[in-house]
This record gives sequence, C-alpha cells and structure tokens, in this order.
Amino acid sequence: MISDKLKQVIQKELNLKEFDLKAETIASQVPGWDSLNHINIILAIEKEYGIKFKGLEILKAKNIGDLQKLIDSKIPA
Amino acid sequence: MPQAIDFGKLFSLFTYDKYDPLLFGSSLFLFFFLFVLLVQRLFSNQKTLRIYSLLFFSLFFYYKAAGIYLLLLLFSSAFNFYFGKLIYESKTAKLKKIFFITALIVNLGLLGYFKYTNFFLQIINDLELGTIEPLHIFLPIGISFFTFKALSYVIEIYMEMFEPVKSFRDFSLFIFFFPNVLMGPIDRASAFLPQIEEDNPITKEDVGRALFLISCGLIKKYAIADYISLNFNERVFGFPLRFTGVENLLAIYGRALQGYCDFSGYTDMALGVGLLLGFKLMDNFNRPFKATSVGDYWRRWHLSLSTWLLDYLFKPLQISFRSMRKWGTALAIFFTFFAVGLWHGPNWTFIFFGILHSFYLIFGMFTQPIRKKFTDSIKITGTKFHKFLQVVFTFHLLAFTAILFGSPSLQYTLDMMHQIFTFFHPEVFPQFVQAYTTIFVLIVFGYLVHFLPKSVEEKVKNLVIKMPLVLQAVLFAIVIWIVVQFKSAAMMPFIYFQF
Repeated sequence: MISDKLKQVIQKELNLKEFDLKAETIASQVPGWDSLNHINIILAIEKEYGIKFKGLEILKAKNIGDLQKLIDSKIPA
Repeated sequence: MPQAIDFGKLFSLFTYDKYDPLLFGSSLFLFFFLFVLLVQRLFSNQKTLRIYSLLFFSLFFYYKAAGIYLLLLLFSSAFNFYFGKLIYESKTAKLKKIFFITALIVNLGLLGYFKYTNFFLQIINDLELGTIEPLHIFLPIGISFFTFKALSYVIEIYMEMFEPVKSFRDFSLFIFFFPNVLMGPIDRASAFLPQIEEDNPITKEDVGRALFLISCGLIKKYAIADYISLNFNERVFGFPLRFTGVENLLAIYGRALQGYCDFSGYTDMALGVGLLLGFKLMDNFNRPFKATSVGDYWRRWHLSLSTWLLDYLFKPLQISFRSMRKWGTALAIFFTFFAVGLWHGPNWTFIFFGILHSFYLIFGMFTQPIRKKFTDSIKITGTKFHKFLQVVFTFHLLAFTAILFGSPSLQYTLDMMHQIFTFFHPEVFPQFVQAYTTIFVLIVFGYLVHFLPKSVEEKVKNLVIKMPLVLQAVLFAIVIWIVVQFKSAAMMPFIYFQF
C-alpha cells in the first residue's frame, strides 16, 4: 500500500492533480517523472520524512512500492 | 597438372595474423560461419555439445583477432565469474563492497593499462615532468567491449539486480560469444544468460530477420561507409586545406553518415549472426540523426554503451550529487561524457568529443525553460516545423563532433572549420556533384533511407521475412553482388575496432 503522505509528496513535486499512483507504478509511467524530477522527488521525500537514503538503496528501488518499503524501513514503527 | 596443396598457406588460415582477423563480410568469415552453423545443426538435439562448440568457435574467432591475448579473455571470464560469486555470497556489506571494488579495480586497471598507459606517459612528457619512452603495449582488440560486458555482470550482482549463474560454461559463452566480442553490442548478462537456459529454437522468421539484418549491414558497411570513406572523406579529412569550405562541409556530412553506417552496419551483422545461432542481442541504434536534441541522440546512438553508462555511472553519480540539484546533474553529465570520450580511446580528440557532448547536454538542460518560453511565444512548440528545426540543429551539432571523431588531431578540426568559414566557395558544388557523382548519390541515398518513416522499414523487413526461402537466397545473392561491386581490394577494418 502506498501511503497518502508519499502520494502527496510525489504529486506536489510533479504538479500532478489526478494520477493513480500504485505500488507497481514505475517512474516512466508517471507524467513528468524524468531524471531531473527524480532527484527532486528523492530530496522532497528525505525532507518530508526526515530520513536519508543511501545511493544504492535508491538505485535498487524499481517502483513506487519499493520506495514505500524503503521509507518504511527507515522510520521507526 | 593438378597443383599440390600448399599446407603452409592452409595452416596460416588457422593461425593469428594481426593484419587478417576474421572480419564480418570476408570470405573466410563466410566459410567459418557456415561451418559453425553446420555444427550447430548437427548438434541441434545436444545442447551441451552445441554450447561447447560455440565456446570453441568463439575462442578461435578471438584468437584470429588477438593471438595470445586470448588469455586475457579467458582471465576476464574466470575472474568475473568467481568475483560475482564472492560478491553474492559475502556475509557482510563491508566484505561485499571490498570484493566489488577489487573487481572494479582489476577490470578497469587492465583496460587502463592496455589502452591508456602510453597516453599518460605522453602527458608526462608533454608537461615536461619527465622523459619516458612509450612502452610497446599491444591493444587487445575488443577489450573495451568485453570488459564492460563482464562489468555489467558484477555490478548487477552487487546491486542485487541479478543472481550469479551457476555454470562457468554459460558465463564464458556470455563473455566469448563471437558475434559481439570484438565490437559489441555490450549485452547485459541479465539479458543474455537466460537465453542459454531457455534454449529457444530458431524459427523461419528468425532466419528471414537475420538475412535482412546481414544484408542491411553489408550494404551499410561496404557499399556506403567504406566507399565514401576511401573515395572522398579520407581525402578531405587528410588534407582539409586543399579543399574548399563546401567540400569540407560535404565531407563532414559524409563522415557522419560513414560513422553511422560503419558501426550500425557491423551491429546489424552481429545481430543477424547472433540470431542464426539462436541468440537475440541488444540493438544499438534507432535512427540517431532523427534526434530532436542531443539527449534524444544518446537514446538512439550506441545504446548498449549509453544505457550501460546511464545505469552504472550517471545514475549513481546523480544520486550522490543530489543535494546540488541541477548542478549535481550537470556534474554527473560531465563525468559520464568524459568517460564516454575516454572510453573511445587515448586521444585528445575523443576526450574533447565527450566534453563537447556534455556541454551540449548541460547547456540544453539549463536553457530548456527559456527555449520553451521562446517557442511558446512564437507559437511553434510541438509543431512539425519546430521538430524540423530541432532535427536540423541537432544534426549540425552532432556533425561538428563527427569532425573531432574523424580528425587525426585537433589541428585538422581547426583547419576544416577555417575552410568552411573563410573559404566556402559554394560555386564549386556543381563541379563536386559532377566529379563525385557516385559519392553524392550514396550520401543522399544514405540520409534518405535514414529519414524514411520506421513503418516503411518494418514493411520491407516483413516482406523479406515472409518471402519463400528461395527468394530470400536470391535476394541475399543480389546483395552480395552489389557489395562486391563496391568493395575495395583491401578490406577496411571497422572504425570501432580501435576502441
């Protein structure tokens, strides 16, 4: 499940009003998610959650579901 | 009286001769390949024998091109196979990293030693930091290609995107595979290795597709690239000051087309040969001159290298520099394209080629919002006219880098620019067309075919695929006949062999 918070961060960075972000959604399916915006999204997530990713962790994330799992693993339950 | 067989000559066909590798398109290669196909057919039900025979033929092919440096290929295969395993089985992240970095150092160290030692010695001499005689280092052909191929395997294991293969035999086939060992495509382990497992049968469609690819490759390489190179481009690039600006400009257009036809011609043949052996290799080109920006060009040109660098160098760098946002991306672009230049060889012209591309891309990135505003204001954004302007402009930016690619040194590049801007003489053009009619027709034909819609190519390809085998054979014979008409007495090596 993708949290509303993550959806909002992504939608805000990409100026997306209505786009159904699912766990299996990949970057190239989302309008405007290019390599430049990718960096902006990662930075926005790090700021919003107060976390820091390792380079390899981000590179390994294949879709939004992976990104959500990565965030979940960084924040205490 | 029957002539006695010259066994010495016969023997030489099987031994290494640095001037006589098994070039695609040579008659010796044709015999070699027919024999390989025959053996593959013979062992069609015995997978193990088929793979071992392919390994043997691939090693022989590489030996014909590099002699004793075959050992380097064997080392690369053994080293990366075991390091892939070590990385995967490491219990701690630290150990994993140590094995990964060792693999990077050994692979890049070998590449660096063979390719760049004398270049760095030359820099030391030029900067008067010392006087060191250049070393006699043989450049093992294809080293940049098979090193990157092997590196993709260890990198993907380290990034946990791929699990190591259990069979050393299969991994060796990935490294040695003769259709792509000398000049790519730089196939990914994750795309190639599963094909050995799947063991897909070769269909009639594959045969038709392969014949189409090999025919296109032969025409591109021998009827276009070699012909215009030998009879025109080389003359102008060798002595730019002897020609007018208009001839220099046409030679630049010719050189851009030659570079594309030479390399994509080889790739077509490699893909076709691979297909006849039951392997689908990665395509390298998608009509690069149709690009509407330099960024778009790198999504169409030498794809197996550009995606390799995008995944394994650009993205990690961009992520590491992310706190600098756009400037971080600019820095990642610069380093990536510096690597593109250096990868091509130890020559300043290649390094400038890479740096120039990075500047194009960085400039494009920073000016994108302004350019969009401008095209919006004159209401042409997204129109056909806008696209046309983008293609023409991008093409000329690329053609300029083609001069760096084709010039023996930077001085030649400057001479060509000098002739174009100060000694253009457009009135020479009709004389040029008259004196070099075949060249002119070939250049126009080459670009015309390049700019045809993709659907036309698909239609022609499907027509060839669906033809009865007899007609396909006749068509192939016609292609060979055309190639023979154009082919020069001495075969010219492929440009990318030097890389």
